[in-house]
Amino acid sequence: MNKVAIVGFGTTPFRARWIEKTYYELAYDAAKLALEDAGIDKKEVGGVVYGIYNELFERQFMPDVYVHNYIGMGLKPSVRVATGGATGGAAVFVGWTWIASGLYDIVMVLGVEKATDNYNYTVGHATPETLKAILFSGDMTFENPSGLTAAASYALPLIAHIDRYGSPTQKQMAMVAVKNHKNAMNNPNAQSPKLLSVDDVLGSKMITYPFKFYDNCLYSEGASAVVLASERVARSLSDTPAWITGVGLSLDKAFAGERDDITVFSSSVHAGRDAYKMAGIKEPARELDFAELHDAFTGAEILSYEAFGFCRPGEGGRLIEDGVVEMAGSLPVNPSGGLIGCGHAVGATGVMQTGEAALQVQGRAGKRQVKGARKGLVQSIGGPATAWTAALLVEHIDQVKAKSLIKPPAGSRRKRKKK
Amino acid sequence: MIQHKEQWLEQASRKIKVPAELIAKAFRDELEGSPAMDAPLEIPDIMDITYKYSYGGISRFFRELRDNRKLYGSRCTQCGKVWLPPRINCNECYAPTKWVELGDTAEVMTYTIVYYGTSTFFDKVPYVCAFVKVKGADTLIMQNIFLKDIRTAKVGMKVKIQFKDQRNGDMGDFWYVPADDGHDHV
Ligand SMILES: [Zn+2]
Repeated sequence: MNKVAIVGFGTTPFRARWIEKTYYELAYDAAKLALEDAGIDKKEVGGVVYGIYNELFERQFMPDVYVHNYIGMGLKPSVRVATGGATGGAAVFVGWTWIASGLYDIVMVLGVEKATDNYNYTVGHATPETLKAILFSGDMTFENPSGLTAAASYALPLIAHIDRYGSPTQKQMAMVAVKNHKNAMNNPNAQSPKLLSVDDVLGSKMITYPFKFYDNCLYSEGASAVVLASERVARSLSDTPAWITGVGLSLDKAFAGERDDITVFSSSVHAGRDAYKMAGIKEPARELDFAELHDAFTGAEILSYEAFGFCRPGEGGRLIEDGVVEMAGSLPVNPSGGLIGCGHAVGATGVMQTGEAALQVQGRAGKRQVKGARKGLVQSIGGPATAWTAALLVEHIDQVKAKSLIKPPAGSRRKRKKK
Repeated sequence: MIQHKEQWLEQASRKIKVPAELIAKAFRDELEGSPAMDAPLEIPDIMDITYKYSYGGISRFFRELRDNRKLYGSRCTQCGKVWLPPRINCNECYAPTKWVELGDTAEVMTYTIVYYGTSTFFDKVPYVCAFVKVKGADTLIMQNIFLKDIRTAKVGMKVKIQFKDQRNGDMGDFWYVPADDGHDHV
């Protein structure tokens, strides 16, 4: 397999509503920024992988067709990935295979999502309709009629986990909410930068037991794109490409009631194991410098610590209490703010987190830079009930001085100016 | 600015199946104000499809619910696993299953309480969504639990089935209530 690097990243800010842009206009903005960041022209892109989750959010089936046209990629290879909340990460996974296989040298992965063009006229805002659009993802015969929501599908494994281990506690979850809102204050693209106290979180209203208001991510609109490149091209474009050294993708049983152990995010365990194996990681807690995890809900972040082997099952809550996952800790989680702080523009989220991981290992993450970050994990989870996980290992590798031997692709500007 | 306001509202109301006064409220600026030419223009819209959906091989499950107040699972003819939700074949053995009647009681294996639901569930909140293990089944099924006091929900709770009076042949035809309580809760 060929090596794959991230050589460009562009994202729109994540916002509650982008009333002034359609989904394809947002996609255009992200594509433009990513191409500029990579220092290449759109003509040099070999193919595009789109991450777009929900047709009812976009008010359009096959929305990728219209994005592809709008950003001027006509006749290039293209495929859309739609794996629920894991759409962004899974799209990067597919883009990775296009380059690892040797098929293309440059691939763009573009995630985009609207969510709040949905509108409930009775209450005068989007949320109930947005929830309804998501609820169509629960099995229509057996699960949709029970009123399952996205939050509920995370709460079910979490309550079973709490029943078994006595954790995470409401306070530990609140600490994750405080951390991710706070981290977002360092991210200019974030939707919910906020300095909260644990009491603020505990005092906010219950949405879906045990998740209080601030335990939930918000719906966001936005677009993010990364440019992936083969080793040959990556080295010609950048002094500090961010290498994707491990990938994993897993889809669990759809009905969580059929799974062996409902307290475990098994798809994360499996995707993580594959990504670690490929990247040669044996002790994740010691070897990883940071992680961008899928904190759709605070409790999900804590269960993910366990799934990825940062600690033993049942001990996730202690990592937040001990400060391990804080910015100043040994394994900061969600320096970007994650879904809770930066936002969850579903198809774009995993692409944004992959791009953020690239910025970290390239030393370009600004105020949210984790000192000396060389190795990070990215996780994208999708429903129903955390069925899907895409896991990616993003790494800095010292440059082998072989650049002069490599011919840059025709028409490309030579080097990106480093910040 | 919208010309022929009354007509516009009437047409929009028919199109998206929302009362005209609610649409008028949502589009007040466009109807009453004078937004700039380049200001974002929103439109009322809807995407809906009607179905005559077939339950295929599991049709019997819903007929037994609707016509006989009975809950059925399906047993794999090879490994003996009893599936609920039922299926006409086993995805472990790739063998056919046979229908088997299940018990009235179940145990709550995990649950959650939804305080903020979708627009379909406005009048139902708060409600309990749970995975229950029905007596005789090897898998868990998602179902609602009705409780006098919603805070009494807990893992390990013993529950029993209760059927709706007017059943339609869907999962809304039954739910669970605490097993030690003889009274109806709905
Ligand atoms: Zn079998």
